[in-house]
Formats: sequence, C-alpha cells, structure tokens
Amino acid sequence: MIEILRDVVSVLSYFVLPSLLVGFPLYGLYKGVRVYEVFVEGAKEGFQVAVTIIPYLIAILFAIGMFRASGAMDFLVDVLDPVLALIGIPAEVVPMGIIRPLTGSGSAGLVADMIQQYGEDSLLVKMVATMFGSTETTFYVIAVYFGAVNIRETRHAVPAGLFADFIGFIASVYVVKLLFG
Amino acid sequence: MLNYIWAGLIVFSLAFALVTDVTELVQDRFPNESAVPAAVSFPEGYDADARRQPVRVTFDDETYRSRFPDDAPDSLASSYEGTLVQTRDGRQVRLDAGPLPEPLATIRSFQADEDGDPLRARIDGSPRLDTGPVAVDLRFEPVRFRKMNDIAQAALTFAETAASLALGFIGILGLMLGLVKIGEEAGLVRALARFVQPVLSPLFPGVPKDHPALANVTLNLLANVFGLGNAATPLGIKAMEDLQELNPKKETATDDMVMLLAMNTSSVQLVPPSLLVAIMGLQINQLFFSITLATLFSSIAGILGAYGLSRLRRFRRSNPMLQRDDA
Repeated sequence: MIEILRDVVSVLSYFVLPSLLVGFPLYGLYKGVRVYEVFVEGAKEGFQVAVTIIPYLIAILFAIGMFRASGAMDFLVDVLDPVLALIGIPAEVVPMGIIRPLTGSGSAGLVADMIQQYGEDSLLVKMVATMFGSTETTFYVIAVYFGAVNIRETRHAVPAGLFADFIGFIASVYVVKLLFG
Repeated sequence: MLNYIWAGLIVFSLAFALVTDVTELVQDRFPNESAVPAAVSFPEGYDADARRQPVRVTFDDETYRSRFPDDAPDSLASSYEGTLVQTRDGRQVRLDAGPLPEPLATIRSFQADEDGDPLRARIDGSPRLDTGPVAVDLRFEPVRFRKMNDIAQAALTFAETAASLALGFIGILGLMLGLVKIGEEAGLVRALARFVQPVLSPLFPGVPKDHPALANVTLNLLANVFGLGNAATPLGIKAMEDLQELNPKKETATDDMVMLLAMNTSSVQLVPPSLLVAIMGLQINQLFFSITLATLFSSIAGILGAYGLSRLRRFRRSNPMLQRDDA
C-alpha cells in the first residue's frame, strides 16, 4: 500500500514544476492577460526579495553556525534524541520547529544550513523543508493582521496558531517518513 | 521572544565553547607541553642531505593510549605517511592529512589553513636518524581555545554564506514571482472563490450570510493556498477590517478573527513558497506532496484548535460577540 503511494508520488513528482511553469501562463492566456509583460513585472521582484532576506539570513545563519561550531548543537541533539526517538522525531529538526513561527527568512536560512550539513537528498532536509513550506510565520501574521485593525486582546489566537504549527511540525516528520522513508 | 532565542544561541555557543576549551586545557587533552614518543623510518633510505624526503611514523599502541586515554583511538594504523623536512630550526615531520588518530586529527585541523594541509611536528633534539625505525619525540604546536577559534570562524563563514546564498536565489525567485504574478492578474483566486465560499461559511458563524466579509476571507485563504504571498497579505488585512466592522468591541479579537488567523497560518499549500523553490531547486517536485499532506493536517488542527479553544470558558467569557448579547 505504502509502496504504491510512493510510486505514485515519485511518478507524479515529475509533473509538479512543469505544470506550474505551463499552467500559470496558459491560464493567464485564457483569461486574456498580457502574460509576458506581467511575468517580467513579477520577476523584477526577485532581486528585491533576495536582497531583502539577506540581513535575516545573516542573523540566523551566523548564530546557528556558531551554535553548531561550539558543539552545542551536537550536545542538544544528544540530549533530546533519546526522548524524541520515542515518538519517532529526529532531534536535528527541533531548531526548525522553534524558529519557524518566529521568522520566515531566518527559517529559510536554517533549511539552507541543513542542506550544507546533510545534503539535499537527506530525510532531515526533506523534513525541515516540508516544515518550512507547511507552516507560516505565525507571530508575524498575528502582528500584521491584528496590528492593521488595532486589536490588542488577541484571545486564543496565539495558542490556536501554535497548535496548528505544532501539528504541522509533527505531520511533516511523519509524512516525509511515509513518502520517502 | 525571537530576541531571546537569537541572543541565547550566541551566548550559549560562547559558553559552550569556553567550557569545552577550558576542560580540554584542564584535562591536558593536547600535547601542548610534552612531546609524543614515536618511531620514524625511511622507506626509501635516509639521506642526511635531502631537504625533503618521505618518512613513515609509527606510534606505540600502549604508550599512545596511556598518553591520550580520553580519545581512546579505536585502532592506530601500523604507520602514518608523511614528509621529513630539514629546516634551519631543526627537523620537521609533516604527516599527510589522511585519517589521523585523535587528538592528532584535531591538532591538524586546528593549525591547518586549508583542508588538505599536513600535520606539522618538530623532532625534539637532534637524534641520529637512519633508515630503520628510530625512536624520536614529536612536538606538536600547542592547541588552546580551539572552540573559541571555531565559533569566530563559523560566524564569519556563515555570514558570507548567507549573502552569497541569497544572491544565488535571485534567478529562481524571479521565475516563481513572475509565474505567481500571472496567476494574480488572471484572477485565479476570484475564479475559485465562489466554489469555496459556501464551504467556509459555517466556520465563520459571526459573519451574516451574504456579508462582504466572507468574500474577502475566502480570497485571502485562497491566495495563501496558491502561494500568492504578495496578494494574500492585503486581502487578509481587508478581511480583518471587514470582520472588525462586525466586532462590537474594537480592541478584542472575535472568534472569526482568530479562525481566520489560524487558517491563514496553517493553510493548505498547493504552490510551494517561492523562497523554498529557490532553496531546494528541483527537489521541490517531491516536496510538493509532503507539503500538501502536512498542511492538510495542520489546517485541520488550526480549525479544530481555533474552534475548540473558543469553546473554553475562559475564551467564551472574553468573546466580544457574546458580551454584546449579555448587555
């Protein structure tokens, strides 16, 4: 059963990017959008976005780099591993779970750091990348959305958001294990 | 919160490095003061006049273990290859950067400027050398505060990595943002909204039927599903403003507002974030499935969490909608 699922996923996965690459322009064409001009206009922002995230990447990457180099990361993993192993979660993904709700660009840096450490193909990288893709920067979203309408009493927004993040975190680990393990 | 975590990482790194360094000094892990006994032999014969010649270094298993009990090397190789270099200051053994036993491997990486640099050791005194194994004392460069050195080095390296990584993302980011812009302009979100709206309605009980608030809520959530980050935020703020109009107590969030937020942060992703595509490249093809599946769970959790918590007495009491009914 799982084998079939994995086969289906691995075959379908060849079509993901191509269908995005073709799907959007085709749909745009159908709707009468000047696709070329609009694409170029959107692509202009690529440079802006890349430059904007640099300070965030520097902030998180150098701190994580120091943490790794000092040996503290290995220590943390050694301490957490026996506990987390009981529920099947590798300790290496824990920093992502902590940082993801707080900073989007910073957690992107974390994914990049894990790629350097464990290689693009590793399960660990697939797990953190799935976490990155499946949850939002909860605190940022709360600040922006509630800030826009001057809400001060946020009631259960933070616990509800963090609960969803937590489930997304756990689900990412198991889904990656299921699909690629 | 982030401030504390970030500062914590840095301070904790420093503390951890310092403790490791001091422990190593106290336990005398590295042969900083003393020499390490070894035997050298010359596979091609000893030439007293040669400036450089191949040398083979052997460590006695028992002596080595008793000197470095903490590192307890699993197996010492029978010998290590290197080069004997005659310098003005004496004779120097340069061990090739292969698999060296600890702590020698660490000494090597500490003194090495580049990855492949050999491990340098001075031969103590001036023993008479010849072809056969000759016992010598090797003096290595002292290793102190290596972790201090490591964390400083890591900070510099990673800062550089961060900038070059981000610049490397420009191309793919541009590609994704261009595509997404087409989706935006083509009204992808609006086209789907009327199918989704009826499904969302029961989740926002505070919004009267046919009130425009629900339309904006739907648009915001759909924009999230399609990874249209730039479009999602203004739509979300618009939706919040609409919900705020229905809110009798302007400083307190309603259940509907919390539901919108919870669904927003956990929403199903059909188009992966542009930044992730830039980082992962073609690997994103496979991750599409894991992300979609994981977000399915987190969405359900977000909805159940927001609904469940709103039923708690504590949050029911602070519900602005109910307070209006009481008054």
